[in-house]
Amino acid sequence: MEHHLMWNWPMIVYLFLAGLGAGALAVSGIVVLWGPAGEFRHRAALVARLGAFIGPLPVIIGTILLIYELGRPFRALNLFTSNLWFMVFNPSPMNWGSWFILLFCIFATVYALTFIPWEALLSGERGKRLEARAERMRSPMAVICVPLAIAMAIYTAILLAAIPARPLWHTPVLWLLFTVSAISTGLSAIILVQRFMFRKPGAVRGAVRREDPAFRVSEYYLVSMKVLLIIAELVVIGLFIMFAHMTINSANFAVQVLLPGGELATTFWVGVILVGLLIPAFIEGFYLLRTAVLGHEFEWPYVINVSAPIAILFGGLMLRYVIVVGGQITGPIGI
Amino acid sequence: MSDNSDRPVSRRRFLKRVGQGAATVATAGVAGGAMHAAATKPAADVEQRNEVQYGMLIDLRRCIGCQACTVACKAEADVPMGVARSWVEYVEKGRYPNAGRSFLPRLCNHCSEPHCVRVCPTGATYERPQDGLIVIDQGVCIGCLYCAHACPYDMRFLNPVTRFADKCDMCIHRVSQGLVPSCVNTCQGRARVFGDVNDPNSEIHKLIARNPVSVMRETYGTQPNVYYIGLDTTDENTKKPGQYVRVTTNKAKSPKRT
Ligand code: SF4
Ligand code: SF4
Ligand code: SF4
Repeated sequence: MEHHLMWNWPMIVYLFLAGLGAGALAVSGIVVLWGPAGEFRHRAALVARLGAFIGPLPVIIGTILLIYELGRPFRALNLFTSNLWFMVFNPSPMNWGSWFILLFCIFATVYALTFIPWEALLSGERGKRLEARAERMRSPMAVICVPLAIAMAIYTAILLAAIPARPLWHTPVLWLLFTVSAISTGLSAIILVQRFMFRKPGAVRGAVRREDPAFRVSEYYLVSMKVLLIIAELVVIGLFIMFAHMTINSANFAVQVLLPGGELATTFWVGVILVGLLIPAFIEGFYLLRTAVLGHEFEWPYVINVSAPIAILFGGLMLRYVIVVGGQITGPIGI
Repeated sequence: MSDNSDRPVSRRRFLKRVGQGAATVATAGVAGGAMHAAATKPAADVEQRNEVQYGMLIDLRRCIGCQACTVACKAEADVPMGVARSWVEYVEKGRYPNAGRSFLPRLCNHCSEPHCVRVCPTGATYERPQDGLIVIDQGVCIGCLYCAHACPYDMRFLNPVTRFADKCDMCIHRVSQGLVPSCVNTCQGRARVFGDVNDPNSEIHKLIARNPVSVMRETYGTQPNVYYIGLDTTDENTKKPGQYVRVTTNKAKSPKRT
């Protein structure tokens, strides 16, 4: 059926990218604040650095995409001026969400700057001074960035969930679904970039060597975390469907688009559940169990190594797609 | 635009609660002149309501589904091709010989609890204090369409020419000059009645008081100010097996956004 969508791909991609950036930043900040010491120190620093660099980029790209789609870029400033001129609090999630985005972009960029290897870039005293200052700034910035990143991830869901006239969105489970998916895609993006970096055997990046035993062990922990997140996401999706299905009203009718026979059923069950969650969970779970149970080295073919995080990222995008589109092609029932 | 300056403002209140508030003031022994002043101001414990609340009553027993209002609205507001501020839905049900067809003219309900206003991030959509109409400030709107999702009646759309949100504005340019809206003006069956629902002397107030009326999707709590007499809530989605129901919305298909 041909549908008219008021929010289309730019919005879908924006929600996905905002979640991804927020997730990557949250992972990075958490590693900085509570990361391991000892032999995993360098490895943790690498995860934190990648997360910090990935963090602001997708959010900035997504926001530009959305503003561009509005057609009048400078009009978007009205989001802020209405508060500033009249000093009013606007309860619209899109309004305070815009302030979140602004703060996020500023703080995430400053946080990313603290990870730039200044000493290597700038020679002499200046580089050393900057490096020392950046290192001092890192933890305080992480304290600000972690709550900001989690708020960002939640906001992307509240934006949709705030609308009673869209029964598929108007559910108290959506924020959990989007937050878990955000952290999962953020972590996958970090792991993916890392796998590109350590593609060749014997690869050395900074203080991290691929052949170190600590490298494999840390990889093992990262992937375990990812599988746990996938399981959590499956549970939340189950709750999401059950919640809507057990309701006697429009939500029940709306969720039928995702259930077998519904218009988006194939995209949902194949794109989100199978490709985005089950297949990566099985692949990674297989290699994890092989190590955990049989005591094998945690080592796997490169193709699978890279495709698992890509599948998770694809699943995250498809999740935003089915929710955004599904909410719009369904509506309240009764007149 | 100051619409009230040349019109006598109705000081009578629709809400009984205000009367109760005034009575409390009276028993407190306030002198006559002060009491009158108190009666014209809302009592502190009573929620502020518009003195004037414009609304519409559509008597569906008189509607012939001619779409004259659809056309009049389109011409009046110069609504671009592919979108519409108002339309008439056809509801058909039953099987011959026990079959029927009814009509459902649609326009913005100018709700008293409008969700579109609550979600607007810029304050572009607001309720006019002088007559309770919900309008969009085209100089502020950014065209995000958050309001269009929030409206439970699907009344808002993206104007393809201005790229801002658009909807029925109850013809403020006409009603502020003392005229009735274009769709009311053109209605062949005199099904549409426009007026101040809070004014006990207005035709619309009397019709609402004397007839069984209903509003659309009342459970959403939006408190619409467009009332219907003889509203059929039959819906294709909720029909029972074996029942024949067909709803033709006749709503213009909006062009793709991007
Ligand atoms: S009908 Fe829709 S657009 Fe009109 S006031 Fe109510 S919620 Fe807003
Ligand atoms: S489209 Fe305009 S009126 Fe509607 S919510 Fe956005 S800024 Fe407000
Ligand atoms: S009141 Fe005016 S804008 Fe609204 S439906 Fe009637 S003619 Fe159209």
